[in-house]
Amino acid sequence: MAPSKIKSEGSDSQPQEVHLLRDITPPTDSEPFYGNYEQGIPIALDIGTSSFKIGLTNSDGPSNVFDSVIARYRDRKALKTLTIVGNDVYLDSSLKSSIKTPFDGALITNWDYMELMLDYSFEHLGVSSDNGRLNNPIIMTEPVACPFSQRKNMYELLFEAYQAPKVTFGIDSLFSYHANSTGKSNGLVIGTGHESTHVIPVLNGKGILSQTRRIDWGGDQSQQFIAKLLALKYPYFPSKLNSHHTTNLFKDFCYISENYQDDLSNYMSMDVLESKDIVVQAPVDITVNNEKKKTEEELALQTQKRKEQGRRLQEQAQQKRIEKLIQKREEFAYYSKFRDDFPNLSQDEITKRLAKDGFDDLDDFNKYMTSIEKSLKNADSNGNEEEEVQIDPSSTWPLVDIPDDQLAEDQIKEKRKQRLHKANYEARERTKELKREQEEAQAQYEKEQEDWRTRDLDDWSTSKRLQLAELISKYKETAKLMESFKDRKSVAAQQRMKNIADLANDENGSTSAATRKRRRNVNSTIDNDPNDTFGADDDDWGVYRDISSVSLKEEQVVTNNQILSLEEELLKYDPEFHHEDTFAASQTFDWASSTLHKFIHGPRQNITIAMQAEGIDPEEIANHPEIIKKNHQIHLNVERIRVPEILFRPHIAGLDQAGISEISEDLLRRQFDGNFSNGGQSNSIIQDIFITGGLANLPNFTTRVVNDFTSFLPAGAPLKVRKATNPITDAWRGMKKWSSSEECESSYISKADYEEYGPDYIKEHGLGNVAFQ
Amino acid sequence: MTNIDLHEISEVTTKPHSFKQNPKRPKPPARRYKPLKQLISDEVKHLQTNHPDLSVNTPTYQSIVSPPSLKPQKVYCDITGLIGPYKNPANSLRFHNVEIYQEVIKNMPSGVDQEYLELRGANVILK
Repeated sequence: MAPSKIKSEGSDSQPQEVHLLRDITPPTDSEPFYGNYEQGIPIALDIGTSSFKIGLTNSDGPSNVFDSVIARYRDRKALKTLTIVGNDVYLDSSLKSSIKTPFDGALITNWDYMELMLDYSFEHLGVSSDNGRLNNPIIMTEPVACPFSQRKNMYELLFEAYQAPKVTFGIDSLFSYHANSTGKSNGLVIGTGHESTHVIPVLNGKGILSQTRRIDWGGDQSQQFIAKLLALKYPYFPSKLNSHHTTNLFKDFCYISENYQDDLSNYMSMDVLESKDIVVQAPVDITVNNEKKKTEEELALQTQKRKEQGRRLQEQAQQKRIEKLIQKREEFAYYSKFRDDFPNLSQDEITKRLAKDGFDDLDDFNKYMTSIEKSLKNADSNGNEEEEVQIDPSSTWPLVDIPDDQLAEDQIKEKRKQRLHKANYEARERTKELKREQEEAQAQYEKEQEDWRTRDLDDWSTSKRLQLAELISKYKETAKLMESFKDRKSVAAQQRMKNIADLANDENGSTSAATRKRRRNVNSTIDNDPNDTFGADDDDWGVYRDISSVSLKEEQVVTNNQILSLEEELLKYDPEFHHEDTFAASQTFDWASSTLHKFIHGPRQNITIAMQAEGIDPEEIANHPEIIKKNHQIHLNVERIRVPEILFRPHIAGLDQAGISEISEDLLRRQFDGNFSNGGQSNSIIQDIFITGGLANLPNFTTRVVNDFTSFLPAGAPLKVRKATNPITDAWRGMKKWSSSEECESSYISKADYEEYGPDYIKEHGLGNVAFQ
Repeated sequence: MTNIDLHEISEVTTKPHSFKQNPKRPKPPARRYKPLKQLISDEVKHLQTNHPDLSVNTPTYQSIVSPPSLKPQKVYCDITGLIGPYKNPANSLRFHNVEIYQEVIKNMPSGVDQEYLELRGANVILK
């Protein structure tokens, strides 16, 4: 069936744009090597939980950016375990199942993996050494408020394994801010990451770590949340979504709502949904069933053939029957002649002849003869049909009216038989009469209705409509009652239970006068209790109706039939009553007003239902390419704003933490001076709200921050919000920029410092963590 | 696409590195894998023993966690994410309108309600 046959309404009939579900795109080649290695040049390593951004600070940008993943794969043929790092793991699909990350959440948990990844990183930076050491200073990122064990392990790795000359650590968001600002500025850095999001105030180019806040929500959690939402939204989705699919869905289609409550309240209206609903197609391979459909002609030919065959069989059977009959007749003729001869033959001769023909004795022969006679008689009577005979009672059953004493014994017997026949006949006559009367009444009723209509059509239709409305409300009432029986706690169900309990109770527990009387009468049983008046009143039986709900169903069917017949009349005679006004039409599913439909299927009719309505074979529907495609589609609508909204309202995901805007409000109004007039600390901070990190790429992030901040700032406050030029790699650029500064020079920890002061020791600087005091 | 030799790629990482030749490197202790939760509790212990008189203003991994929100929380439909003014008293699922209740919540297979509640951390955890 062509999809063009599917009805759809108005301008919405164009199909929606379909996006393909994106998996990871494998790199075309293995990770490149950096060709401009020099000893002594600082190496900047931004080791993010999502990706590594690494490079020598003599290049403009990070020379290698790769995912923070590692795969260890056992090659059984070569008896060797392969270690593949970064984007190279996507080169071969056999590695897919063994992809791991050294991180758990924001922290490094597998240091063996981390060491391998650093080896890989330095090799790709072209590091070579003549003294067995890494002869470059290291600038590296670490988590905000880095736990001691993390830094200790990293120190050990850098100083003991690589013997790096000097090392310094910093915070990625602050490096990114450094790359995007000049001089010692004030501002507020919103750093969104893969595992967590930070709000870090900056004064004079120095991050204020004590006022920093972390929300444990980032890109990875968002991706997982989308996966969970979709699994619940499409529980029978035929293909499995991997984390790359959901990450891409998040990156490509999610955006931050400028005003969440307003957006939500009209998201499901048809015109908004039309522009917001996204259709994503999972890969599906549609194999067209090649088995040719039989045409109508072929089908007709087939039935014709089958009929022909049936007829031939029937004819054969008939033929056989006739043959048998003829044979029987001949036999009968022969044996009756033989029987006629009996008087002329002696007993011995008869027995001999009988034995010769295979009979046991005379009895057997007689039995056989009667059976033949009977079957011949049957065959004869079958031919002529019974006819309706006009019967005259007095002549057919003459004995009925004669008194018994005038009759002989067998005549009385005969009379009894005749009386039975007569009663039968009379009953038949009576029903015939009744039928005739009914027909007459119906005709009379129809004539009356007709008269009524010609007299006053309006009056007729209003009264009919009134009746219809009553019936419909009755129908609905019963439906409601039936529905409420399903719920054990509903009033109706409880009433029913009470009735049952009352009935049971009457047998023994009750102390009413009637029962006491009954108890005195101990000999009475339930069947012959003289005090039991149940059934004397017809309403007594209503108690059974209260108990059983089956009768409700019957009642509903009757009401429905009445509704249908009434509607039929109205459709026939009332010019203003159309098919759309019928009860059935009002019960049909109106998808455009169904929130659930729009949520799951978007702003288009469900083509499966449309096809069903056209009466297409269910099997054909199931195999229809459009349907198969449709079953592999995801509609993203509310999720597009619901997931990013978690950054602003973490409680949506069950995170009991304040969102970005609330943290910022608290910082600006209470932790700092809250002075938004010229010269105030908070005033200078709000002039530079800076957003960086992977989620900064979500559309509308800055607009949303402006909206939220404006709501708590005094009118006219000089709010400025900006986004990093490149939210992902700017941290590395900040490290490069910082590497040539004096501050950097003075914050390096040398190997000697490390050996003297231990792993707890760092030199504080504006872009890094603070030491514990 | 060039022919890819995984052995060659692996070799880059696993071969002896010219920049990592330290015969005196203390043999790395058998590193025990510790999950995030344990790392955090270790950190708390470390701070308590080594820095008992840490000032309240010193940022630590635990102290910089965003505090609970003080603003009234808006409620949303657990199924659709739309505004959810109603609550099913049986399992405290929130829903947008009567249709969601009739079509989804009423016929929900057992266990699915907990999956929905898990999204916002309101599921019942049996121990």
